[in-house]
Amino acid sequence: MGEDTTTPTAEVGGARPTGGEPTLIAENCEVTYRVYADKRPTFRELLVRRFKPREYTAIRAVRGISFTAYAGEAIGVIGPNGSGKSTLMGAIAGLLPVTGGRVWARSEPALLGVGAALQPALSGRRNIILGGLALGLTRKEIDERLPEIIEFCDLGPAIDLPLKTYSSGMRARLHFALASSIVPDVLIIDEALAVGDKDFRKRSQKRISKLRKKAGTVFLVSHSMKAITDTCTRVLWLEDGQLRADGPAEDIVKAYGDAGS
Amino acid sequence: MSATTHPADPRLKLLGVRPSLWNYLTDVWRRRDFAKEIASGEVRGQNMDTVLGNVWHILNPLLMAGVYMLIFGVILDIARADNFPAFIVVGVFVFHFSQKTIMSGARSITANEGLIRSIRFPRAVLPLSTVLGHTFAFVPSVVIMLIIAVSTGERINVWWLLLVPIFLVQLLFNVGATFIVARLTDLFRDLTNVLPFVFRLLFYMSGVLYSVDRFVDAGLMREAFNYNPFFVYVSLMRGPVLAEFEPLDPQLAIIGVVWALVLLVAGFLFFRAGEERYGRG
Repeated sequence: MGEDTTTPTAEVGGARPTGGEPTLIAENCEVTYRVYADKRPTFRELLVRRFKPREYTAIRAVRGISFTAYAGEAIGVIGPNGSGKSTLMGAIAGLLPVTGGRVWARSEPALLGVGAALQPALSGRRNIILGGLALGLTRKEIDERLPEIIEFCDLGPAIDLPLKTYSSGMRARLHFALASSIVPDVLIIDEALAVGDKDFRKRSQKRISKLRKKAGTVFLVSHSMKAITDTCTRVLWLEDGQLRADGPAEDIVKAYGDAGS
Repeated sequence: MSATTHPADPRLKLLGVRPSLWNYLTDVWRRRDFAKEIASGEVRGQNMDTVLGNVWHILNPLLMAGVYMLIFGVILDIARADNFPAFIVVGVFVFHFSQKTIMSGARSITANEGLIRSIRFPRAVLPLSTVLGHTFAFVPSVVIMLIIAVSTGERINVWWLLLVPIFLVQLLFNVGATFIVARLTDLFRDLTNVLPFVFRLLFYMSGVLYSVDRFVDAGLMREAFNYNPFFVYVSLMRGPVLAEFEPLDPQLAIIGVVWALVLLVAGFLFFRAGEERYGRG
């Protein structure tokens, strides 16, 4: 492995019971991935370099993070760019392999970030159907929920246009409406609220509190401190792949602001 | 199963463990509506911008058979089969079925990267959907194929019932082959440029256009044909339909079944070994 610094794991996290039952436990979670210096070599380049393996750097994006999430919590995840927020969320959602430590959850967490487009060539409506089915809904269930999801998106006639024509805000609406429609035990929202407009933010906050009442846990990754304090009860502050602080939303957001990041 | 649940709270399950074979398969089965949706989208999408739409699924192999009939049956006049039109149509349709399925299946992972990156689901659903879609698109072609056989002088007989198991065996072969090319294409995108030539070669090596028995002398060369799965499935399908052939060649039948089962198991295991790596480039 390339870069390898010995880093003590942050012990700030750990159990912080807030009355509810645990829905997700991350124990010393680590994610390391390889970043190659250049693209996949062509055959000619392989010949020139005599089949020497490609050089890469091992990036320790998440280095030993532990926390326990409880039912009814809305947990904000903050930190500077590249601090490992999205990687950590991808790991607890099962989309990225955890290279160290363990993650336990009540059921498989649902994550829909704004980064990925499902099927760019298909309409928003078909994407909702396809996404819902991929998440494990049956045809009957998605047909029943479709009108409500479309109404929540509030995209108007754009719902029948291809997804590739959507702005990031429109895509975020669709992803949020889809992910929150399956009522998961753990819902992870990556940056989706920050790109939505005021009206949509209001409606999504309502839906988040509804989910919390149903004993779910919501993770919200955002750079908007207002979105975090409006929605979250607790905040995880990540810095350099480690948990710098874990506590009540207001306190941590204030400390984060004071740190001048 | 105590190793996969949390010691303090048994309702918490360990994430990221590779599911057992049984759980994986039930997970795939649970997404059957998802598979159907992808399959119908794929089949419809292929001819979306055309006037005739889905009719092309039948018209395409039919026109191809017409071209071969014109060149080999009329112009070159090497049609050494009793019922050349039926001979060509069965050959072209049966070969086309596997070729279409496997070549589309090669793109089943790479064409659905957005879905793979956003949602966790058993990836085997994707190649299976492709096979499903092309299988349903093939059924009307079988009907056309049999109508052509009858209208060129073949008689409907009880041996036609054999077409169902032969079709199913070929289907299993397609599933296995699709699993293999789907993973290989995800690893090496170059494969999409190579596959057309592989199938072109296989097409000429499988006796689709000529009767192998009349052109290849008995011996090692002739024996080699019997182990080419495409020749096997084309010949097995011709058996019941064309009066010229034995309804069922037992040696070919055994080879066909062995190919299908070996490829199905090996293909699935090979595909599953890459489960966590799909869509990560």
